Amino acid sequence: MTTSAFYGKFERHSHGEGLKGHSTHYCPGCGHGLAHKYLGEAIDELGIQDKTVAVSPVGCSVFLYYYFDVGNTQAAHGRAPAVAIGHKLANPESIVISYQGDGDLASIGLAEIVSTAQMGIPITVIFVNNAIYGMTGGQMAPTTLMGQRTATSPDGRVEFMGQPMKMAELIAGLDGPVYVERVALFNPKQRNRAKKAIHKALQNQVEKRGFSFVEVLAECPTHLKATPEQAEKWVEEAMLPMFPLGVKKDETREPWWDRPAPTFETERVLKEIGAGEEKAPRYCTSFPSHVAKNDISLKLAGSGGDGAQTAAMLIVHAGINEGFDATHIPAYGPESRGGTSYADVHVAADEVLSPASPSPDVLIAFNMPSLVKFGPDVRPGGTIIYDSSVITDYTPVKSGVKMVGVPMSEIAKDLGKLMVKNIVALGALQAATGIFPKETFLTAVRRALKDKCAMIPLNEQAFEWGVKAASEVTVP
Amino acid sequence: MPALKERPKPFVLPEFCKGCGRCISACPKHCISMGTEINPKTGLTPIVLDLTNCNGCGLCIDACPEPYGLQQTPADADYELQDPAKLFGDRMTDAPEPVDIPDQVVPLPKMEPLVLKGNYAAAVGALLAGCRHFFGYPITPSTEGAELMAKLMPHLDGTFLQAVSEVATVNMMYGCGGAGMRSMTFTSSPGFSLMLEGISYMIGAEVPGVFINVMRGGPGLGNIAPEQSDIKLCCRGLGHGNTHAIVLTPSTPQEMLDLTMLAFELTFKYRNPVVIASDGYLGQMTGKVSLPESLVKPGIPKWAVYGDLEHRRNLISSIYLSEVDLEKWNVVLNAKYASMQVEQRADLYMCDDAEVLLVACNTPARTAKGAVQVLRSRGIKAGLFRPVTVWPFPIEKLKTVLPNAKRIVVVEASNGQLEDEVKIALANARIREYPEIEHVRHFGGVLPQMEEVILKVAAGQEVTV
Ligand code: SF4
Ligand code: SF4
Ligand code: SF4
Repeated sequence: MTTSAFYGKFERHSHGEGLKGHSTHYCPGCGHGLAHKYLGEAIDELGIQDKTVAVSPVGCSVFLYYYFDVGNTQAAHGRAPAVAIGHKLANPESIVISYQGDGDLASIGLAEIVSTAQMGIPITVIFVNNAIYGMTGGQMAPTTLMGQRTATSPDGRVEFMGQPMKMAELIAGLDGPVYVERVALFNPKQRNRAKKAIHKALQNQVEKRGFSFVEVLAECPTHLKATPEQAEKWVEEAMLPMFPLGVKKDETREPWWDRPAPTFETERVLKEIGAGEEKAPRYCTSFPSHVAKNDISLKLAGSGGDGAQTAAMLIVHAGINEGFDATHIPAYGPESRGGTSYADVHVAADEVLSPASPSPDVLIAFNMPSLVKFGPDVRPGGTIIYDSSVITDYTPVKSGVKMVGVPMSEIAKDLGKLMVKNIVALGALQAATGIFPKETFLTAVRRALKDKCAMIPLNEQAFEWGVKAASEVTVP
Repeated sequence: MPALKERPKPFVLPEFCKGCGRCISACPKHCISMGTEINPKTGLTPIVLDLTNCNGCGLCIDACPEPYGLQQTPADADYELQDPAKLFGDRMTDAPEPVDIPDQVVPLPKMEPLVLKGNYAAAVGALLAGCRHFFGYPITPSTEGAELMAKLMPHLDGTFLQAVSEVATVNMMYGCGGAGMRSMTFTSSPGFSLMLEGISYMIGAEVPGVFINVMRGGPGLGNIAPEQSDIKLCCRGLGHGNTHAIVLTPSTPQEMLDLTMLAFELTFKYRNPVVIASDGYLGQMTGKVSLPESLVKPGIPKWAVYGDLEHRRNLISSIYLSEVDLEKWNVVLNAKYASMQVEQRADLYMCDDAEVLLVACNTPARTAKGAVQVLRSRGIKAGLFRPVTVWPFPIEKLKTVLPNAKRIVVVEASNGQLEDEVKIALANARIREYPEIEHVRHFGGVLPQMEEVILKVAAGQEVTV
């Protein structure tokens, strides 16, 4: 009897009233009905009704979900392939069908179909091409033939409206799809081919081989203003020369679609997000309010490779390890690509309120432009720590600001790695301000390098040299 | 193998023949001809079958576009007299009633706090809330969230997919959320604009999903610095139609995590998208983030179109063709929006006796909080009213602190979009007596500074700054 992939009664069709419970909304002779039937038969033959999700498009086949007794989702115009991908990834074992017309697929949804096809994820796309917009009332479709008169090409389609889109060829030209064929419905032989193609496109998905695409040249007698018989003839005689039938791509691809079930295992999740139970040791006895009462504001500034952001993050880690609150906000975007790179850091006894550092208590400047730019903002009584290897002729513009020049670059170079000059800077910060005990910084450095243990001794040395150099500075 | 003549022959109930004639040319034996009488029930002219020469080849059946059109003749001899409902079935489907597979809440051991960027904290929150499907399109300043998801999802056997655009992104979420899974994206203002079409569909079809909009400067390309200028879009402009969604406004990396977890709970509770409106500054800010006490292992809700027998009956759609049906549906949605009012959330800082009420959310709220401290130290009774949901606006909490307020100052990085929400909420609550609303506003990536807020408040109080 009837294909079981169809609902026993079309209750969604005008609430199943009267005859509508068992007839479609399509015009007499419309090609959509045939495409539906062959799809339904293939679903039955493959025994996949329970696993199938059909995505209804916008267009005449918008009500696909009236008919198919499968999971149904109705999509926005042109977006069915993206919706289908969402379903397929939600349940990789489901069989997902994106059924679309020409306006939907070849016009408004071009980006979605092309990108989805290229992904190659096994879904099945049934593309019904009848060269016209049906639902909106006979306007020009991307597949409308040259010279064809429509409501929006009343004098016939001419060149500047674009040539008809050959979607099967376009999709077959991509690497993603495994199978692409164009079929038609105008005689028993073509219908038989159409049936087989739809079956194969679904089977490829069942066998996890890849993305399949079947373009069905279909009749829209209504907007061709023709009888169904004339419409069949028109497809054969007018459409075929533009849209040649046949297999456009058929690759042998081994089954590959295999996705594990997501894990929610506590240990794995915690490991991935980097959570640990180990408490960092604390060395501070109280908040370093000698630097600033209960919220210390710092700025670190240099050029891209100076490591200002890393040093800033280490200060934040050090502060949080000590049980304080701390924040870091980088200057980001094009600004951070070359040129100056600067970071605002706060360490607060309870809570950082304003994370920006417009007038910092401490400025660490890795180069001259940074010092010139931010030096004047340092609040009276604050400290400026700068790389005296590169900043040689700086005259303090502000009285009451402590200037600590440390040859960060030279020390780092002597240690064999210029990269560690930011760690030298942290040593200098420690010695110049006493913000945290040495061990606080060293612990933060060691924890940050726990996966690169070999780097720890060099960084420790850099830190110690920074401390030493800053301690020897006579403050002007 | 049955003999040829045993192959079942076709029949059609006249009321299910649309008279298209496609079967006529399909028959090699010329058994089918166009009828001459209009069927009174359909107004169409069905075909007439003369099966004398019929060999049961079935080509006519393959040519009939109607699922209940030409059929193989059933064994039952009386079929033609039967009611079509009985012949073809009077039930829509034999699929079982859908079932709920409930979520599980799994306790976590006590962990040390993490040090995370706001965007990372939100991603971690999503993972702990059971999200294993991320769809997105990179856009500054939200990319770190997507990048962390790209790194971690494969390790947790989840999905990270970079879509061709924000339009595709939201539609992948529509499919994935429609299948009952927890999906999300990170985006920023221009990208969020592109997602609005899909968000309207999600609201109409009751599909959950979490959108983290790390707001940046606009209009147009604007810049990538922090702004709060999508508050209007989030609260009043979620695509076409009568739409609303809960909009959460974090102001610390900790809240980026906490509110993302909350967002997943709410999006499934209400079957409605949830938006987290963050700002570019907060997305980039690193801070201390404590982990929750549990994580969620999600189930599959009973309404989902998951692609299995248990959920075969379901439909995700926002179409209601008849005006009456669509009005009814809007009534249902409006009632749902009304029920979301219980989700109003606000954080009140020194508001109890506050005579100057600062209203701010996101990063400007931190600035305002600092200003409150300074103002208090100068003897000015200031307080911060910080909406954590800008929709629904926490009017109930605002009501409690309004009686003392002599001044209201909205501090925001937009042209009054938060202020508008305050005013709409006051109007809807029929509150007409309140101090004139003043403001400190900045745009284009410039954030209000603490000094400006202090100046604004204190100048009126004749305090020298
Ligand atoms: S308008 Fe054309 S495509 Fe649409 S249902 Fe009618 S015949 Fe089919
Ligand atoms: S089954 Fe074959 S022979 Fe019989 S009516 Fe149909 S097409 Fe003609
Ligand atoms: S193909 Fe079907 S609907 Fe069309 S005339 Fe034949 S039986 Fe009737």
